[in-house]
Amino acid sequence: MATFSADVYQNEFLPDGGTDVHAIVTVSCAGAGAAGQSESGDAAEIVIVDTSGSMGEDKIRAVQQAAAAALDQVLDGVWCAVIAGNHQARLAFPVGSELAMVRMDERARAEAKAAVATFWADGGTAMGTWLTLATSVFASVPGLAQKHAILLTDGINQHETPEQLSAAIENARGQFQCDCRGVGADWQVAEVRRIATALLGSVDLIARPEEMAADFEGIIRQSMSRGVAEASLRVWAPQGAQVLFVRQVSPTVEDLTPRRQEVNALTGAYPTGSWGDESRDYHVAVRLPAKAVGQEQLASRVQVAVNDTVVAQGLVKAMWSNDDTLTTRIDPAVAHYTGQAELAEAIQDGLAAKAAGDTDTATVKLGRAVQLAAETGNDEATTRLRKIVEIEDAGTGTVRLRRSVSKLDEMALDTASTKTTRVKK
Amino acid sequence: MTEPGVGGVVGQVEPSVGDRSQGDGERLSCPSCSGPVTAGDRFCEACGAELAPSPSSAEAPADEASAPADKPWGARSCGECGGDVADDGYCTQCGARAASPRDHFTEQPAPWVAAVCDRGVRHTRNEDAVALHAGREPGSHAVLVVCDGVSSSTDSDVASLAAARAARDVLAVSDPQGQGTAATRVAATAKALESAADAANEAVVAHTSAGPNPASCTFVAAVVDESLLVVGWVGDSRAYWLSDVGEPQLLTIDDSFAAEQIADGVPRADAERGPQAHAITRWLGIDAPDHTPRTASLDLSGPGWVLVCSDGLWNYCSEPRDVATLVEETSRGSGSDPLQLAGALVDWANAQGGKDNITVALARVGAPVRTATAQPTAASGLEPAAYREEVPPDGNVLS
Repeated sequence: MATFSADVYQNEFLPDGGTDVHAIVTVSCAGAGAAGQSESGDAAEIVIVDTSGSMGEDKIRAVQQAAAAALDQVLDGVWCAVIAGNHQARLAFPVGSELAMVRMDERARAEAKAAVATFWADGGTAMGTWLTLATSVFASVPGLAQKHAILLTDGINQHETPEQLSAAIENARGQFQCDCRGVGADWQVAEVRRIATALLGSVDLIARPEEMAADFEGIIRQSMSRGVAEASLRVWAPQGAQVLFVRQVSPTVEDLTPRRQEVNALTGAYPTGSWGDESRDYHVAVRLPAKAVGQEQLASRVQVAVNDTVVAQGLVKAMWSNDDTLTTRIDPAVAHYTGQAELAEAIQDGLAAKAAGDTDTATVKLGRAVQLAAETGNDEATTRLRKIVEIEDAGTGTVRLRRSVSKLDEMALDTASTKTTRVKK
Repeated sequence: MTEPGVGGVVGQVEPSVGDRSQGDGERLSCPSCSGPVTAGDRFCEACGAELAPSPSSAEAPADEASAPADKPWGARSCGECGGDVADDGYCTQCGARAASPRDHFTEQPAPWVAAVCDRGVRHTRNEDAVALHAGREPGSHAVLVVCDGVSSSTDSDVASLAAARAARDVLAVSDPQGQGTAATRVAATAKALESAADAANEAVVAHTSAGPNPASCTFVAAVVDESLLVVGWVGDSRAYWLSDVGEPQLLTIDDSFAAEQIADGVPRADAERGPQAHAITRWLGIDAPDHTPRTASLDLSGPGWVLVCSDGLWNYCSEPRDVATLVEETSRGSGSDPLQLAGALVDWANAQGGKDNITVALARVGAPVRTATAQPTAASGLEPAAYREEVPPDGNVLS
């Protein structure tokens, strides 16, 4: 039986007239078990791979190996399907004309691998059609509790309009979770990130085809270890208060604010997808009407809900004080993750400006990113930034853009921009 | 913080009134930890959980009274907006911190004895506690116990309440007569105070959870037995005798760093404002080297007030004469009902800043308070009441 806990890190003291309360809430799950083995219902997994013409012989062979590795990780009893995608989507497994999934067992695994082995590279790229088919395939099995897909592409979504992709994403939102991967340098991080963000998944770069199998194996293993099909973060704020934002800050930065679903007038729910034995940190910011010095009040109840039952709760408090030594302190966790979130934004803005040819903005933004990475001790980010800019002074964020930069290095910096380091508590 | 107590316990009369025997009450169990609780308890002594106000035993049908309450916590309403209060202690609508019954409560076992215990302004918890017992006949027999939980330790609010009640329960049923002389009666009462401190200390230890800051509290108990007043204390909670006509007296000597300085000649006002003024040198708790109370006794020759209080009051008014003046002036507004007067004194301390939890327990001895027109005439001409303080070097009470 999975157990959740919620720990709050904050400085609850506000100065006279202060209104904004910030807190980091660490949510931890233990005893999650395995996918599809909880009482909530069956799990299902779909492997979606790009088989467009650009994949070529090498990449197709790597995809075949990676898909096989993924299928090896799918637990027996979990519903399974494989979709081959180009400018249209094709259900490669189960073989046949109907929308269907099959429960994984030895025979199903062998048949799926055989289907994968027949893949060939042909046609264009229309990821929206892949998502739409996946949505329908999942829907063919009634009562699934946990639906996860892995999506691999190597190129730009050329054979449908951005609007068509958006519509497909909206159609899939809330239906299944999807981790997305791009192989090589010819895909667009922003485009694929749009899918991953909407479908509560990750986005990452696979630089070389031979790395694909290990990556797929890891993704499916993680998916199978998530025995809690769905949990949501609930944020209560008092009457007259305003939730400024709700942001996941670890292991990656994700703004959850627009995902709010109303539970009641004072409480919003933010879906967080499936959970294994893990911790995730959330930054919650609430604006309150100021009270008199000496007053105390609750700024927020931050709860974890599974199947509409609250399983953990953390309290974010506000206490007005005229003691400067109390009110001027910034909680280290809040400071750290505020910096990490700004770092992610600076990297993405900087790379976007660079791509648009705006060298000045790119230099300023990436310089700020270098400064923040140094301040928050994010050495991985510093290493990736170093490949894009020459650092003159990390403390002041003084950098110069490198003349020749590898496209893959730029994409690696972009996809990793949202990964945060944990604060030492 | 200064509103009337939640839970409707003002003026509650304990079943033991009149016969000095502490009735068992109905044995119930705490819905939170299953520890034993008694009907009318507002908190579980084991875990400190708040208990729903239960109907008085007179109203409750017998079969219901012995059954555990269905609903552990009475539904509470927010004092700010009227919304429901969640189990986490905050309003579900406006988020205001709900006043806990533990934050402010009163006792009045008989019309002449009462106490008010209050969180104050600055502290987030009320770690003070009070427990009273009184015979119905004014001036007959009363027990006033105040314990002040040490705020740097864990669970001191639970421990202090358990300690005060344990000591009260010991003293309520003890009827020390000695061998008929005043001296042996004092000695026997002092002995009972020692037993009471033992019981209080055991209660603190029983409510000490593992951790680096074990629960601890001060202890002061005053026993009024007709014309005899005996007090025992550990720490810096105090007992005063405020005679209507004689010199007001502080009966206790704080076990504190400040008191040691006073003994060394530092003026009281300076010592009590020093940086370590509140460092106590003796206390109850698992880490207490010695919890034997020091005792003092007094022959109550005339009418007056027995005042037992925590430092939440005397921080703002310490010298006996100042305390007497404060009580006198306050009673002009509040009247001479001890509950009203204790409440008014708590209000006064809160108005001074309420830096600490505040407990005021009062017993009215002798005739009712003189009216404002009956001014004292020859107070200075009267003999002050006899005052002795016993501090046996070996920790034993006087024989």
